[in-house]
Amino acid sequence: MTRYNHVTDDVVKKLVSICGEQYVTTSEPLRHSYMARGIMGLEAVLPEVIVRPADVEEVSQILVIANEHLIPVTPAAGGLSGGFALPAIEPGGIYMDMTRMNRLTVDTENRVMIVEPGVKSGDAWRIFKVKYPEWAPPIPDGAPPAATILGDAIERGFSLVTGVYGPQADMIMGLEVVLPTGDIFRTGSWALDGAKPFYRWGLGPNPDGLFLGSQGSMGIITKAAIKIVPHPHHKTVVAYGGQNWDDIIKPAWEISKHELGVAENTVMVQGGNWPLVMTRWPKSNVPTDYEFYKKLGISEYWMNYEIWAWSDEELEYVKKKIDETYKWYEEEAGTKCPQWKLHPKQVASRLKKPNKIAIPYSLWQAGFLFITWYTPWLESPAMMEEYCAKMEEYGFPPTMWVASIDHARQAIVMPILCFDSTEPGIYDKIREFNTETTRSFLKKGWLNYRPDPFVHAPETFSRAPNFYRMLVKFRKVLDPNLILHPGRLAIPWEAVTDMPSPLQGDGE
Amino acid sequence: MTSLEDLRRINARCIHCRACQYAYSGEPDRQGETEEYTGMLQGCPAGIYYGWEGYYNSGKQWIARAWLNGEIEPSQELLKVVEACTTCGMCETQCPNYINTVEVTEALRAAVIEAGVEPLPRHKIIGDRVHDEELRNPYNEPRNQRTAWYDGEVDRKDAKVAYFVGCTGSYRQQDIAKHTASILKKLGIDFTVMTQEVCCGSPILRTGQRDKFREVMEENLELFKDFDLLVFSCAGCYKTFRNDYPRFSGKPLPFKVRHTVELVYDLIKEGKLEIKKEYPKKVTWHDPCHSIRHVGLAIEKEILAQSDNWLIDSRKAEKAKEEHFEIPRVVLRAIPGLDLHEMYRIKGDSFCCGAGGGVKTQFPDMALAAAKERLREAASTGAEVLMTSCPFCVTNFTDGVKALREEQEATGEKKPGADLEVVELLQVLDELIE
Repeated sequence: MTRYNHVTDDVVKKLVSICGEQYVTTSEPLRHSYMARGIMGLEAVLPEVIVRPADVEEVSQILVIANEHLIPVTPAAGGLSGGFALPAIEPGGIYMDMTRMNRLTVDTENRVMIVEPGVKSGDAWRIFKVKYPEWAPPIPDGAPPAATILGDAIERGFSLVTGVYGPQADMIMGLEVVLPTGDIFRTGSWALDGAKPFYRWGLGPNPDGLFLGSQGSMGIITKAAIKIVPHPHHKTVVAYGGQNWDDIIKPAWEISKHELGVAENTVMVQGGNWPLVMTRWPKSNVPTDYEFYKKLGISEYWMNYEIWAWSDEELEYVKKKIDETYKWYEEEAGTKCPQWKLHPKQVASRLKKPNKIAIPYSLWQAGFLFITWYTPWLESPAMMEEYCAKMEEYGFPPTMWVASIDHARQAIVMPILCFDSTEPGIYDKIREFNTETTRSFLKKGWLNYRPDPFVHAPETFSRAPNFYRMLVKFRKVLDPNLILHPGRLAIPWEAVTDMPSPLQGDGE
Repeated sequence: MTSLEDLRRINARCIHCRACQYAYSGEPDRQGETEEYTGMLQGCPAGIYYGWEGYYNSGKQWIARAWLNGEIEPSQELLKVVEACTTCGMCETQCPNYINTVEVTEALRAAVIEAGVEPLPRHKIIGDRVHDEELRNPYNEPRNQRTAWYDGEVDRKDAKVAYFVGCTGSYRQQDIAKHTASILKKLGIDFTVMTQEVCCGSPILRTGQRDKFREVMEENLELFKDFDLLVFSCAGCYKTFRNDYPRFSGKPLPFKVRHTVELVYDLIKEGKLEIKKEYPKKVTWHDPCHSIRHVGLAIEKEILAQSDNWLIDSRKAEKAKEEHFEIPRVVLRAIPGLDLHEMYRIKGDSFCCGAGGGVKTQFPDMALAAAKERLREAASTGAEVLMTSCPFCVTNFTDGVKALREEQEATGEKKPGADLEVVELLQVLDELIE
C-alpha cells in the first residue's frame, strides 16, 4: 500500500512561494472548516494544509511539489460531494480549494461556455439571466446554488436538461486537465493551439472519459467547455399521480421514447413518492400518516414533467399530448393516474433554478445521504420497490426520487437516507444497509453512480475485475505515485477496503 | 438552549451546502435594477473579507462540529476565526434546515472561552468594563453619569413604561436618546429612565463572555421587573432583551418590549398617528440586523416551536416574519415627501453594516470594508440619504462615508457612497412628529 508523507514546514514554504502567503494555511480551525460528512459521502480525513491556487499554472506547480514529497492531494471547489470532496486517506495531505478559479466565458455563436472549477450554479444563472437570457447554462437541478457547474459535469451529474441531453458529462466539448505529474493539456478540438472547443472528439482518441467520474483521481480539471442550451421562456410543470411505481415510470417511457417532438419539450422528467414530501420536515413536527398528504392532494407516487416551449400554443400542445398518453395508459393498465392540480406557486417553485429543494432532508432528524443508482428505465420500478422495502426494514423512511436521463433510456434512482447523525452506531448501520442493497442490485446488473469507495466501488469492481485492472493501469500511468485523492474508484484498493483485491494474482 | 452541546442536533443538520454564503440563495431569478445587483449575491461580510471557508457560516458550523466531537483544541487561533463574524444572521435566513446559525457561533465562542482561552484583547477590555460595578458599560464611562443626558425625572416609581437607553445612547449618541425621549413625550407615553440601568450585555454575550452577561441580565431583569413595557432606541439592546434574556434566564420576560420605531408603527396602524410634516428627500433604508432580521427570525421560530405540523405552519411563520420586516417600511411610507428607493439586499437578505458581533471593536478593518460595500449598494439606488435605526449601523456607516471621502480625495476618483448622508430614523421622526 502507498505510504504518504506528512506536509512539512518546507512543503508549506514551497506552496507559499507558488500561491502567496495569503492563499496557504495550516490553521487548524480553517482546516476543519472544509469538513463535510453527509449528502454523498460519510468518510473524510482532516487535510494538513489548504491551498487556494489562482490559475492552472499554480495547480501544476503544486502537483509537482506534491509528487516530489509524496503527499496526497485533494482538489475541490463546491465541496458538495460530502466526504468525497475531502481527503479520504491518511495523512490528509494538501487540500486544493479551487474556488478562486471562477472565471466564466460564453460563446453563443458556438453555443458553449468555458467554466473554471469555482463557477457556481447560482452565479452562472445570474450571469446568463443578465447577459444571455436566450441561453441557459446546464446547471445541476436540485443541487444547491453553491454547487459548481464543473463539479456536476465531471461527476457526470444531473442537469436541468438531462431528460433530453443526457448526463452532464455528455455536454462536455473539451477539458483542460493538469495531470498529477504537473503536465497540462486540453482535449477535443481545443487541444489544437488556437482552436475553439467545437468538436469533442478532437485530434485523436479522446481521453475525456478517464477524467469524468474520476473525481480528480486521474487528473485535475481546471477548465471545461460545456454546451449551453436554448432557453425558451414559455415553461410549465405538469404532474401525474399513480398507484405504484409502474404507474409513473411506464407513461413517462411512452412520452419520452420517441425522442422527437413532445419528448424534446419535456426537458426534465422526475418524480417520487409521498415520503419525499414528508421527510423535508422534522419527524416530530409533521404528520407521518399518508392520509394527511392525501388530503393535501399529494399522490402516493407521482411524476413531474417540466416543459419548455417557444410559444404558449406549443406548451398547450405538449400538455395535451402528455394528457392523452396518460389517458391511454390508464385504460391499458387498468389504473388511475390523476393529474395533480398544481398551484401556480408550486409550478413557480419547481421551475426555479437553481433551488434548495434537496437540502431540507436534514430536518427529518439530523443528517441525510443521497445514494444514486442507474438502471434501465423500465427496470427502475423493481429497484425502487426493493429499495423502499429495505429502507423500512432498516428503520429509514422510504424516501425515493427518480428521474429520466436521455429520454427515459436510463433512470437515476436516488433513495434519500434520512438519519440521525448523532445516533451512536448509525454509520455502521448505513454501511450495512449499503452493502446489502449493493450486493443485491449488482447481481441484477444495476450500477451505482457516484460509488462510495468503501462499499459500492469494492463491491462493483470485485464483479468487474478486468475493468478494474484497466483502470489501475491508466491510473498508474497518469499518477505513478498515486498522489491524487482516490475519489470513488478505490485506487489504491487497500486504502479503502479489506476485501480481496481484483488485482490479486497480478503481482499486487 | 444556550450551550453548544444543547445545539448539537441542530448543528448536525448542516450538510455543508453553502447556501448560507449568499443573499437570495432561494431566489436565483430575482430581478434587480442593475446588472450587479440581481440574482443571488455573496452576503457574508466575514467570508467576503477573508475568503477562507472558516469565515463563512458554512465553515463555522463544521468547526463547531469538530469542537463537539472533541476534534479541535481550544486556542486563540480558533477564537480569532470564530469571533470574526458580525453575527448578522444573513446565513440563518438562507438555511433551509432552520439551523440557528448565530446561536451556534455565539455558543462556540463561549465554549472556547469557558475552556480557558482568554477573550480577544479588545473584547476582554469591554467585558471587564461591563463587569466593573463602577462602570457597567463598555465605554469606560462613570456609571453615575448614565442618565446625565436626561433632563426629566428619573427613577419614577409610578410610571408603567421605561425607556431602556443603552450604553451608546447614554454615553455616545445622546442626541438619539434625547430624540427618543422627545418622541415618547409627543406620543403621550408616560415613561421614565432608570439611573441603575446597566449594559444590556449584548457585546459581551456576542463575544462569548457569558458569565459577565448573566450578571448584567439579572440586574436589568430585577430593576425593570415591575414595568409593563420597556421601550428601546438601540437595536442591539432590543434584540438582547427580546430574544436572549428569555433564553438565558429560562423565563419569559416580565414586561413587554418594543423598539421605538415599532411603537410609531403601532400608532400609525391603529390610525392614532399621522405624520404631516414633509421630509422631501430621496432615501434608502438599511435594515438593522438586530431589530429587523433577528427579531423576524425569532418570530418565525417561535411559531414553529409551538407547531406540530411545520409543513402547514411554516408558511404562517414565514408570513409573520415578513410582516415584521415591513415595519420600518410602513413608517417610512407614512412620511410625506419621503421618496424611498430600496437597496437590492433587504429585509432577511439585507447586507450587514459590518459593526455587530464584536467586529467593530476587534476587527475594525473588516467592519469598514463591510460598511463600504453596503454604502456602494446604497449609492446604487440614487438615494441621497441612507436611513437606519441602530447606533452601531449609524456609527459604522458614518466611518465608512468618511473613509470613502478620504479615498476620493486621495485618488481623485469618484467613490459611490461618499456623498451619502447617514441618518437615524428616530431623529427624523422626532423632527416630524408634532
